[in-house]
Amino acid sequence: MTELQAEQAAVVPRIESQSQRSRYRDVLIALVAFAVLAILPMLTGSKALLDFVIRCSAFGLFATSLNLLVGFTGMVSFGHGMFFGLGAYGFGLLMQRTGLPVPVGFVATLVITTLIAAAIGAICVRLKEIYFAFVTLAFQMLIHSTILSWVSLTGGDQGLRGGIPRPAFLGIDLSNHVHLYITSCALLVIGLLLMRQIAQSPFGYTLRMIRDNATRASFIGIDVWRAKLTIFVLAALFASTGGIIMALFVSGAYPEFAYWTISGEGIFINMLGGVTTFLGPMVGTVLLLILNDTVTRLTEYYGIVLGIVILFFAIGLRKGLMDFVVEWYARRRAGTGERG
Amino acid sequence: MTRTRKPGVSRRATLAMMGAGAVTFATPWVARAQAKTIKVGMPTILSGRVAQLGTSSRNGVMLEIEKVNAAGGLAGRQIEMVIRDSKGQPQEAARVARELVNTDGCEILIDAEASSGAFAVHEVARDLGVLCIHTNSETSALTADPKQHIPNAFRTARQGVHDSIVGGSYAAAIAKAKGLKKWATCSPDYAYGRDTTGEYVTYLKRFAPDTEIISESWPKLFQPDYTEVVTKILQAKPQALYTCLWGGDLTSYIDQANIYALFSQMEVFAVNMADYTALTVVKNLPKGIHSGNRYIKTYPATPENAAWGDAYKAKYNEYPTNWSWENATAIMLLAEASKKANSADGKKIAEVLRGLKIKSPFGADGTVTMRAEDQTLVGYAIGWGTTIPQEPYVPQVQAGDWKTIFELEAEWKKSKGYT
Repeated sequence: MTELQAEQAAVVPRIESQSQRSRYRDVLIALVAFAVLAILPMLTGSKALLDFVIRCSAFGLFATSLNLLVGFTGMVSFGHGMFFGLGAYGFGLLMQRTGLPVPVGFVATLVITTLIAAAIGAICVRLKEIYFAFVTLAFQMLIHSTILSWVSLTGGDQGLRGGIPRPAFLGIDLSNHVHLYITSCALLVIGLLLMRQIAQSPFGYTLRMIRDNATRASFIGIDVWRAKLTIFVLAALFASTGGIIMALFVSGAYPEFAYWTISGEGIFINMLGGVTTFLGPMVGTVLLLILNDTVTRLTEYYGIVLGIVILFFAIGLRKGLMDFVVEWYARRRAGTGERG
Repeated sequence: MTRTRKPGVSRRATLAMMGAGAVTFATPWVARAQAKTIKVGMPTILSGRVAQLGTSSRNGVMLEIEKVNAAGGLAGRQIEMVIRDSKGQPQEAARVARELVNTDGCEILIDAEASSGAFAVHEVARDLGVLCIHTNSETSALTADPKQHIPNAFRTARQGVHDSIVGGSYAAAIAKAKGLKKWATCSPDYAYGRDTTGEYVTYLKRFAPDTEIISESWPKLFQPDYTEVVTKILQAKPQALYTCLWGGDLTSYIDQANIYALFSQMEVFAVNMADYTALTVVKNLPKGIHSGNRYIKTYPATPENAAWGDAYKAKYNEYPTNWSWENATAIMLLAEASKKANSADGKKIAEVLRGLKIKSPFGADGTVTMRAEDQTLVGYAIGWGTTIPQEPYVPQVQAGDWKTIFELEAEWKKSKGYT
């Protein structure tokens, strides 16, 4: 064994134990976050706050899953909203037409999403940059048009009407507002935790390598196409889960869920929160929803305010809020170190 | 070391931003004190392509609210309207509606949403049990389909199937008189366009069986250029054309079709023409377009209706729209029902609303009725006439016959499996 190899052999277990520790830390943070969210209904009677968190769960899962593509793999998808819509419609239709139990409907929706995402992804991930963006957008519009024109199944532009039935399971009754809230929080926390694991796993680092230099990755022996397809499908699953939460929240599914504006909103959330940190999109979601809710209360000129905010982030900060905070914090620490 | 000002935001600014964030975070959940006023929430569309739907709905509502408040409000409680923009997104419509009830303490909802948004608000009403009046959705299924039925939701908008029955019978009479056999249709490509056109054609053929459709065009909603549609219709050489384009789409279509002199080559039936939003915007309104009435102040030709139209014009400096009268009617019904129930309680008002008949400037016979069985408005003025290029735009309107409407509507419901 050369010296170098010996050194590496010593380093590997250390890294492993480090990643093990950080995994425990993530799980711990997730548990604490869930506990805080879960006791919220006991502290406040505000239904609006619960509504807010439910919507945050839906959009948060959606935006974070988009960041797996945009931030971690460098695939800017303009069509990610199709999976949000697919989740909402898949789940809504399954519940309305088949009367399956909720968990079965949930899993079945994810299976459907997997199949469709794999088919669409197989075509899209061969392309790069703007071509990838536009082909995903094209598929999104295809799905949106299908929803609009397949009136007998989807109800066309009026959406899925008549409410989504939700038979109680394991003592959980999703027509109860608090139960729906807790379930959404659980899905959010589990979803974020899983995505965090994906991002921190060796596979996650492979994705970063593909983002930084796909050619080098493939020279090392990584099957770039397969890795991209895998993350495309995984991201679709989480977006679909977001769609399911939204369908439960509004008790219906509407073609707007699969429209490009939802994808645009996802991109905007990522810009707002920042794409270099894992929690950036989640922060962006909270920010956008607060902005949305307060501004629409105060004025009907919502577009102007939002435009100004975009300009502020794009030209003023030139990065998302979380990126900014992380850098600011790092600078500050470096600053105190210097002085000390 | 010397510390120079680093680029970025200062500590003070950061603190200020955090403070502002905290305030914005907290305000929505500070429930405002509920005084003696009664809050009525209204989600609608105030931005984007169809913002006029929201603004003219709001105008219609506010015009009536002032009168009701001046007369003492709902059972002694002054009404305070809380009107919010949903941007035409159903999930926003649902959120805004929930927020209006849960946070702002609104006890009644006026749902001035269009299309899918109305169904989203309907689900909120189902969930929260709050009294809800749909004022803009004309989709028949909203009240005709028993699966949609909930005791606390009503509709004061006209209904697609009513329009089709009256339009079909009017067109059939003209078709017989003028020998119009070859028809073309041109309607926007979405549920409203497809359904309305389908129903219209059904009733046209029923009353005039020897008519046939030789050409169909389905331009996209909000399509800017209609050249290909116009030329396609001209090439097919129909004797008559039906269209349910509306608003800006209808006016651009007419402006563009005018270039090809389309209107001198065939009879045109445009159900949404006789609304001031279209009538006053078209550059050269052709003479003789057949249209259903949406809102015009000369039909019904009563002093009450003319006075209402003028009062609206005086206040807002524009004429009312179809949406204006539909929303105004909701407030009129609410006020009357509350008076009868001697209460502002949603449940009690709902009880009285079922089957309530009130005097109305928009009634075919001076009254409108909230039909008890499906909780939707009937007896409103509905008719067809032809246009002239200046006011009053549609001088002669032939009234639709509500007896026929009821018969055919019942038949239609049966065919759809609703009864």
